[in-house]
Amino acid sequence: MKTLAIILLILLLTVGMGVTLYNFTQFYISLNTLFAKVGYTLIFIFTLLIISRYMLLLFFSLLQLLFRITDIELKKQTRGPMVSIIVPAYNESKVIAKSIESLLLQQYENIELIIVDDGSKDETFLIAKQYEGEMGAKSVKVFRKPNGGKSRAINFGIEHSSGELILVVDADSKLNSDAVELLVRHFENDEIAAVAGSVYITNQVNIWTKLQALEYIEGLNMVRNGQALVKAVNIIPGPIGMFRKSALYDVGLYDHDTFAEDCDVTLKLIAKGYKIDFEPEAVAYTEAPESLLDLIKQRYRWTRGILQAIRKHAGLLVRPRGNVTATVVLWYMLFESILWPTVDVWVNAFIVFVSLTQGVSLLVFYWWMIFTIMDMAAALFCVLVTGERLSLVFYAAFYRLFFVEIINTAKILATIEEFVGVKMEWGKLERKGRL
Amino acid sequence: MNLIGFVSVLILVITLLTIVFGAIAYFMYKIRERKRKAANRTYSYEEALEHEKSEFIYFE
Repeated sequence: MKTLAIILLILLLTVGMGVTLYNFTQFYISLNTLFAKVGYTLIFIFTLLIISRYMLLLFFSLLQLLFRITDIELKKQTRGPMVSIIVPAYNESKVIAKSIESLLLQQYENIELIIVDDGSKDETFLIAKQYEGEMGAKSVKVFRKPNGGKSRAINFGIEHSSGELILVVDADSKLNSDAVELLVRHFENDEIAAVAGSVYITNQVNIWTKLQALEYIEGLNMVRNGQALVKAVNIIPGPIGMFRKSALYDVGLYDHDTFAEDCDVTLKLIAKGYKIDFEPEAVAYTEAPESLLDLIKQRYRWTRGILQAIRKHAGLLVRPRGNVTATVVLWYMLFESILWPTVDVWVNAFIVFVSLTQGVSLLVFYWWMIFTIMDMAAALFCVLVTGERLSLVFYAAFYRLFFVEIINTAKILATIEEFVGVKMEWGKLERKGRL
Repeated sequence: MNLIGFVSVLILVITLLTIVFGAIAYFMYKIRERKRKAANRTYSYEEALEHEKSEFIYFE
């Protein structure tokens, strides 16, 4: 009954969006300068582009869900190939114990847990060391190495692993007890090199974390579900991602020249022609930044890291070399990281300008309304699929009103810094220990 | 003024403020990071000698 009500609401919202879009188009006649008319036309084309992208992803996501329901091959198995779980940790004393405990509670039996302390200055190593040893079919190994960055810590773990499958988990993540077995089953298909899991936010304690929770289920999980239809998920998230070890060695493991090593390694795999899948039910809970400045810090690193990864594979943007998927993925990422934030902020500035010079029009209302309705429809769909709290849909109104705007402004400034070549550091976030 | 008109003005004001606030927040983040970096900076013995312009450093 609840599902039916949500589906009807989504349909109603879609109709509402169509009506709003129609009203939006009526403004063209009322604009009296060439500058405003050209600007408006660009906004309209861009709006159509964004709506098409959303609808396509929603459609792909829906199709993928239908395929999953009918896919009888994807059966859970608690026994199978050895999985080495790599946990790179740097100053994670507040969360490392909970993370290890959640990994030891995995129903999948053939597990080797490798904690790599990357030269922490706190008690991370000592806390992790207490868990070292054999526990039935599961074993825990704890290593300590001089600080060298996350990618080096992951590679260190991989080199000391014996499993044929590698699960990379952030030290501030907590996994569902069936996460490993859900991920492992995808590797029966030899073409699959990696599988991404779902990431949910555990500390939904204020408006920033709630808006991020909405962003995660809508922007990340829905998008990945859509990309999974063509087995081309573009980023294996840091909190949960499983890899075929042979594929990782084939692409030379993780590189150390970007600040988004997860995005970079995924792009390397896609560029080599490997397929990347998504498992929505394998869930990792992670801490999100709780303050605006910490959120900007995180997005600054993501934006510059992703741009660095795209730059490394820039050749594929214009020369597919028989790998059209890689080219499409790269263009998509370029759109997400540069074009969308720039145009979004420009459109808002343009609307403010037109309103101030030609009088406040309803243009700004309809523009906001189109995207808010779209966000609400997408959020409803995601809530329906993920089982997240329905109250998150309410936050969609604020999401477009100021959250996206602030993030996009930070992304643009980070992009400028990346092109100018401003020196950057990792920028680790302080954990609150709310896992 | 009708309701949609009022909401339009409200959104307009929020949009304007958000764009400005977004840029301010970004620079606040940059300043905070710079301060943190300066506070966490460690000095080598040679750098401390250079700073003190002395042959020895005395600890109280």
